[in-house]
Amino acid sequence: MKLYKIFQLMALSICLALLVMTSLFVSAEDALAKVRIFGSIPGFAAIAQEIGGDKVEVTSLSKGYQDPHFVDAKPSLILVLNKADLLLYAGLELEIGWLPPLITGARNSKILPGNIGNFNCSTLISNILEVPITKVDRSMGDIHPGGNPHYWLDPRNGIAVARWVAERLKKIEPENASYYDEHLADFTKLLSAKIKEWDEKLAPYKGTQIVTYHKSWVYFSDWAGFDEVGYVEPKPGIPPSPSYVADLIRKLQEDNVRLILEESFFPQKAPALIVGKTGASLLVLPSEVGARDGINTYSDLFDAIVGEITSKLANHGKG
Amino acid sequence: MKMQIVAGNPGITNINRRFIIFVFAFLLFSPGVHKEVWGDEKNDIKKQMQELRQQMDSMQKKLQELEEKNKKLEEEAQKQKEEKEVEKALTETAPPPPPGGGLRGLIQSLNPDISVIGTFAAAYFSTDDPILHAEIDPENTGINLQELEVGFQAVIDPYFRADTFFALRRDIFEIEEAYFTSLLTLPLDLQIRGGLMRSKFGRINLQHREFQDFVTLALPAAAFLGEHLNPIGAEFNFLLPLPWFSELSASVNSSNGLETPTFQPSPDANNLGLLLYIAHLSNFFELSDDLSLNLGGSFATGSNGTSSTNRSNLYGADLFLKYNPLKYSSSYQQVWLQSEFMYRQAETPPEPEGNFSDWGAYTQVVYRFAKRWNTGARFDFVNTNNNSFVPAPGGEGLFPARKELNYTAMLTFNPSEFSRIRLQYEFDDPSFRSSYSAVFLQFEYSIGAHGAHPF
Repeated sequence: MKLYKIFQLMALSICLALLVMTSLFVSAEDALAKVRIFGSIPGFAAIAQEIGGDKVEVTSLSKGYQDPHFVDAKPSLILVLNKADLLLYAGLELEIGWLPPLITGARNSKILPGNIGNFNCSTLISNILEVPITKVDRSMGDIHPGGNPHYWLDPRNGIAVARWVAERLKKIEPENASYYDEHLADFTKLLSAKIKEWDEKLAPYKGTQIVTYHKSWVYFSDWAGFDEVGYVEPKPGIPPSPSYVADLIRKLQEDNVRLILEESFFPQKAPALIVGKTGASLLVLPSEVGARDGINTYSDLFDAIVGEITSKLANHGKG
Repeated sequence: MKMQIVAGNPGITNINRRFIIFVFAFLLFSPGVHKEVWGDEKNDIKKQMQELRQQMDSMQKKLQELEEKNKKLEEEAQKQKEEKEVEKALTETAPPPPPGGGLRGLIQSLNPDISVIGTFAAAYFSTDDPILHAEIDPENTGINLQELEVGFQAVIDPYFRADTFFALRRDIFEIEEAYFTSLLTLPLDLQIRGGLMRSKFGRINLQHREFQDFVTLALPAAAFLGEHLNPIGAEFNFLLPLPWFSELSASVNSSNGLETPTFQPSPDANNLGLLLYIAHLSNFFELSDDLSLNLGGSFATGSNGTSSTNRSNLYGADLFLKYNPLKYSSSYQQVWLQSEFMYRQAETPPEPEGNFSDWGAYTQVVYRFAKRWNTGARFDFVNTNNNSFVPAPGGEGLFPARKELNYTAMLTFNPSEFSRIRLQYEFDDPSFRSSYSAVFLQFEYSIGAHGAHPF
């Protein structure tokens, strides 16, 4: 057999195999028929799961223990977004470094901006914090021109997201509208009750002065009534220099700062140094669903955060 | 008497007229007479008043009843409200803000994202006459502008997006890329790119200068692709229906105006078979959450310009392996390895020596050991079975890649995501002349909104 005939045969068989596999996948898709939802961060995915119940299939593009600013735009994510019905993302340029090429590569017009499957959750948050009122430039660090994107750390915003996720799902699948409404009602009832409970727990500590590593807790502080007096990063995204840390230590010795909060994906060297020289305690907190084992839902996340903060503050000063 | 009476009458009348008038008036206005003369008006009014009073009373009663009802309703509503209070209040606290309000409206514009990336390098060579492998590399001892890349990127409409990059040097203007990408859902998960673009051949050809890990271009990329292989063409990218990411790309390109070492326009322009055809298969495997592997194979064939029938075939294999331990991301440690192999066959006129083939490869490892620091090493080489230059009537001619080895080490500091300082040492060992060393100090900055890079 001549060489080119072998090539011909190979090409033909590859084409046939592709056809067969395509048809197999198409039929498999029909059988599944669940709404495929992807959250850029696990918090949105978790909310969508509670609203969608067993009518949806939810996946998060990033891990809970990962810095949502820096996610590898792996081609495997293109493959999953290719099949997506709904993509939830934080917006405000949180995912600017990795999500746009995935959306472009996905070849899925459903999830393009402006279409029903593209859901920028920041568009429904009424109180975006830190929206710059003057012209910004990058000498201010890695700032977000649209405002601070870490709004899911205020549980009240979780309810807003849930409500609009339900709206979208009802548009995508009108036949299951009542199902989504019920789940939304359940979720809202539970979370509202939880918020009351957390509010009560946090009430004695209103006005507590805290320092955070990144400017990622402003929404949480806004809700909990904490007073953020400093940040370990001199500017967002810029790691601290020794002289800055020394200044911060001096400042904290004067103020009555009791807590330093940070996420596990930030370095703990500088915060540990600050804690050693001042009376503050360091808390490494989960900022996302899935950041630790056992944090599987949106309210699990705040149970953990509020629980750890209040117990730390209650024991503060007692040695 | 009569007279008296008559006469007296006026007197009596005079005295009593007032009395009579009074009596009349009394009679007239007395209740009984009044009744008969003026009718029972007062009584009517009284009756009406009474009726009105009754009506008022009934109205009041009704009102009270209504109020009671209302109260009950309100109480019920209150109860319902209380039940739904938290729920409702909270769900309605966040209506979507009006589009285009405040500063957000000011930021909105339909201008494309504009970015400028400047790359400068100070160089020291241990020889007076270093080999310039790629035009973008630093030429001589001194300070060089390697490239000023200007990018314009935007979505065109719901169907396409456009990316345009100009590469500028002091006296050179080059359209590095200007292409559209389809955004639609097309059959067979097809995505079309068209225009002037870096072809999907291997890995480094798709990497813009600022995305590369070293100051200079690896030898095989310089020898076979030139700066970069960026013909004008149409590219069809299919996602294969496999459990892993597998993308098959095929493109047909015109090599007109292309001055790469491998592909040059044919003197006989009217030949479809001598257009530049490129195919690429890229497979991505997520070995674990932390470990990723990309394997690719490429093939390109087209006219090499040495005659109206001669063609070059270029084969490539590429590998990319990245280890990014997510659970330990506070250390920012990552390692990635990139390697490519290229093999070229060129048909050339029988004189002086006929067809030749050459090959080359590079392997580079980069270790990011802190948030802003990384270091890496690269080994690259090219080799051939033929050493003679082949002139081309229409183009620059073909140079076989003569044996050459290169060893490189680099250290990079990124003050932020938008600036970079890179120190590099390079030892170049060609077979055809004496070896030499080079040291580079590169500074790179990026301003404006530059689109994210692919994985």
